[in-house]
Amino acid sequence: MNKKAKRTDSAALNSSLIRRPIQRQFAIFLLPTFICFCIGFLWPFIQGVYLSFHKFTTISHVEWVGFNNYIKAFNDAGFRHAFGYTALVAGVSLVLINVLSFAVAYALTRNIRGSNLFRGVFFVPNLIGGIVLGYIWQMLFDRILPVSMVNVTSYGFWGLIIVLCWQQVGYMMIIYVAGLMAVPEDMLEAARIDGANGWKTLWHITLPTVMPSITICTFLTLTNSFKLYDQNMVLTNGAPKMKGVFTTEMMALNIAKSFSTANQRGAAQAKAVLFFILVAAISIIQLTVTHRKEVQQ
Amino acid sequence: MKKWTALFLALCLMFSLASFAAAEEAGSVYYLNFKPEADQAWQDLAKIYTDQTGVQVKVITAASGQYDTTLTAEMEKGDAAPTLIQVGNKQGLDTWGYTLLDLTGTDLLNELTTTDFNLVDAEGKTKAVGYCYEAFGIIVNKELLEKAGYTVADIKDFESLKKVADDIHARAAELGFDAFTSAGLDGSSSWRFSGHLANMPLFYEFRDDGVTEMPATIKGTYLENYKKIWDLYITDSAADPKKLATATGDQAEAEFGEGKAVFYQNGTWEYANLTGNFNMNKDNLVMIPIYCGVAGEENAALCAGTENCWAVNSAASEANQKATLDFLKWVVTSEEGTKMMAEQFGPIPFKAAKEPENVFFQDANKLLAEGKYVVTWAFNFTPDVDNWRAGVVSALTQYSAGEGQWDAVVSEFVDGWAKCYQAIQ
Amino acid sequence: MSVRTAGPEGKHTTGQNALTAVFVGISLLWILPILIVVMNSMKTNTAINMDAFALPNGETYVGFSNYVNGMTFGNYPFYSSALYSVFITLASTALILVCTSMAAWYISRVGDLFSKIVYYLCVFSMVVPFQMVMYTLANTSRMLHLDTPWTIPVVYLGFGAGLAVFMFAGFVKSIPLSMEEAASIDGCGPLRTFFSVVFPMMKPTLISVGVLEIMWVWNDYLLPYLVLDQNKYKTIPIHIQYLQGSYGHVDLGATMALITLSLVPILLFYVLCQKHIIAGITAGAVKG
Repeated sequence: MNKKAKRTDSAALNSSLIRRPIQRQFAIFLLPTFICFCIGFLWPFIQGVYLSFHKFTTISHVEWVGFNNYIKAFNDAGFRHAFGYTALVAGVSLVLINVLSFAVAYALTRNIRGSNLFRGVFFVPNLIGGIVLGYIWQMLFDRILPVSMVNVTSYGFWGLIIVLCWQQVGYMMIIYVAGLMAVPEDMLEAARIDGANGWKTLWHITLPTVMPSITICTFLTLTNSFKLYDQNMVLTNGAPKMKGVFTTEMMALNIAKSFSTANQRGAAQAKAVLFFILVAAISIIQLTVTHRKEVQQ
Repeated sequence: MKKWTALFLALCLMFSLASFAAAEEAGSVYYLNFKPEADQAWQDLAKIYTDQTGVQVKVITAASGQYDTTLTAEMEKGDAAPTLIQVGNKQGLDTWGYTLLDLTGTDLLNELTTTDFNLVDAEGKTKAVGYCYEAFGIIVNKELLEKAGYTVADIKDFESLKKVADDIHARAAELGFDAFTSAGLDGSSSWRFSGHLANMPLFYEFRDDGVTEMPATIKGTYLENYKKIWDLYITDSAADPKKLATATGDQAEAEFGEGKAVFYQNGTWEYANLTGNFNMNKDNLVMIPIYCGVAGEENAALCAGTENCWAVNSAASEANQKATLDFLKWVVTSEEGTKMMAEQFGPIPFKAAKEPENVFFQDANKLLAEGKYVVTWAFNFTPDVDNWRAGVVSALTQYSAGEGQWDAVVSEFVDGWAKCYQAIQ
Repeated sequence: MSVRTAGPEGKHTTGQNALTAVFVGISLLWILPILIVVMNSMKTNTAINMDAFALPNGETYVGFSNYVNGMTFGNYPFYSSALYSVFITLASTALILVCTSMAAWYISRVGDLFSKIVYYLCVFSMVVPFQMVMYTLANTSRMLHLDTPWTIPVVYLGFGAGLAVFMFAGFVKSIPLSMEEAASIDGCGPLRTFFSVVFPMMKPTLISVGVLEIMWVWNDYLLPYLVLDQNKYKTIPIHIQYLQGSYGHVDLGATMALITLSLVPILLFYVLCQKHIIAGITAGAVKG
């Protein structure tokens, strides 16, 4: 309650000195981005929703089919599987990437020799495109594994997870390093004097302080996994196929494959809309939950 | 003074109108080319044509594997859309048929020596013209075969092929080469088996059942034969069947080019690479039919067909359509055009065609001259091609690695076909 | 922003030294794939196909001929692709940084219904894969004649606005109002307040967003492929794609060579700016 009152207070001050003048310059500040956003995302997306109710070859050659495409999408076992699989990859990679990058960040803030160099090296995979690094890893896995990874669903799954970790740990690690350096030294000192062991300190002092970093990293890793296409396509392209379903196929790949066949584009567009709705819902829940946690701390 | 100015302006106006009208009348050509390696040749040819006739010819080449994506994006462009496109198979005809010109009675069609490779829609309208044809089979290194103590004449059917291959494979260490190149199932190579090899069971089934349209379901009558030849490929080869998933097409080509294997399943398009990049002697190369143990197959010729058909966009302006047809006629009749076509595409089914030096076509023609039957490209009927093939490849990969049963291949072949057919309805 | 020291600088415990050793190992693993690409860029195509992990030997080593092949391939000059790539990357990133930081400031400070709607749309756009909008996006940009390198930054700003606005808005929330108020009292208009007070403070987020955008645009293939007029303009990733022929043939050596070349500028950029990048992401993350 108190917090809310304060906010209105500053908002009032805000509006007289800052808010109004900015608002008058809407055309300079927000409009350019908004127009481009409409061109580059909003309008194409709305057109996509419109097309999801049609059978189409090109945008100008369409035929209204109502909810047919949505029914097709729901009836597609591959699509339903891809949704669950995407959630699984997102969940596992979310946990692993965050734990690993936190651990690396934790180790690298322990005053070890060459930690700056290591930070640089860990960041390097971010600089390469997904297709290229997918190919390199595919060759590596082929060397290591007894059979090619496209034969066994679990190989494909863990292979993808390893690549995702390899690629993203560097970036997330730096965010965690930042968070860790913000942990006040005196609090750690006090905890030590009180006789708290390492785990307790980590749990009760360090983690709560790095909560903002966790929020950002969770959000970034989640959106990365949901959008994932290049690495999935290069590593397994969804194989193996079992009982008529590509077992390692994620959403973006499933949708892109449907897009490649002209007569399925309507269904592909419907899948895209469904996927978007589901992910948007998950993101909202995730953001609300972590934000609430942050406030509580 | 004023008068002169007015006259001058009027003249300008007239000229500009006249030139505008001329440009309008002449039309222009925009070809969306399918083959990256032919890009340079098309650009050069377009320039020659423009120099000779003044008609603008724009050639854009889609990146490999991106033709459909590019075509879809380009066809949105209304007046600036391609006037000339490539349609490869039945599915392409179904997708784009609504905007393709009926080519019946055009000069281009009259130049053809055969209409076998054209795509004709349900109403009997010729919508796409097969402008070249290709053949595939098993390419044999005669020199190695003779080293192993055999000649091409020893191979007449599946039994004799298997006997020769088994023997070479057994003596591989001693001979220094193996029977077959790696049957790679990487995306750069898998089409040789999910597309071209799969043509064998499809062709024979369709021949038995008299299928001439894309069927909703198939029976898989000849899948046992498909299994026979596939087993031979992966057994009598130096490659580890567990690692085929990542073996590439270039790898198989290199094995053959460097003399590490006697047999290599591929097509006429390989000629330039084998004789060029690998300096193979053309007299050592011969292409034989794929044998898979079907009764009467000793009378089979090579698998001949095409996925290269020209189609004209009927949404283009009249002038552009005419310009496009004129350009195509020039390509298949002129000295420059036929020379380029022979170099890039081998033999073309047009009256003025030049003889290509590609020995594989001589093999194809020789077999036909002996009265053998052509194995046509039945796989052009495949519904939702990429997805159907992906399913077959996945099952083949697992089967070869010992991770899956042959039943799964059969299921992808037959049930997968039905599903893919449903998906595009 | 110095690294916290557990003991006096220069003295390391055995545990710390062991950690260093472990990290040296992991670091090697981390850059191994890049080394493999560079190594293969100097081997023959056949050798890459047969064994990508073997070191080049007298027979398979071809020096820089793959580089020459890759750069002279086809009828489109490689240096044009490279220049367009550089221009598009820099222009798009600059445009995104300026426009979205302004937009994010507006959104956070004004906070009316419209701003909120725009903000949430931006957040949602972050999870949409490009494939979902590619045809409609290509069509829209063609109708608006955005198919040149000089105009494609507009498309990048549009499709990439989501992440940038999200990150900038997060940062603006943490900036105290007092400085902006002071500037305002001194008679600065919003534009001046923004560029003299807010923009400099945003430096950390500018860097982290900038790095993300540069990495994205530089490596992006499908968007420029579909949007740009292919006869006139190519970028490096598009150029690399054309090394693939039909029938599954790929000039692997040339591909590896061009990938190596495309890595050089971005690695150089990274090495030169490493300090700022890491400091930037670090500071941006704490505040954001």
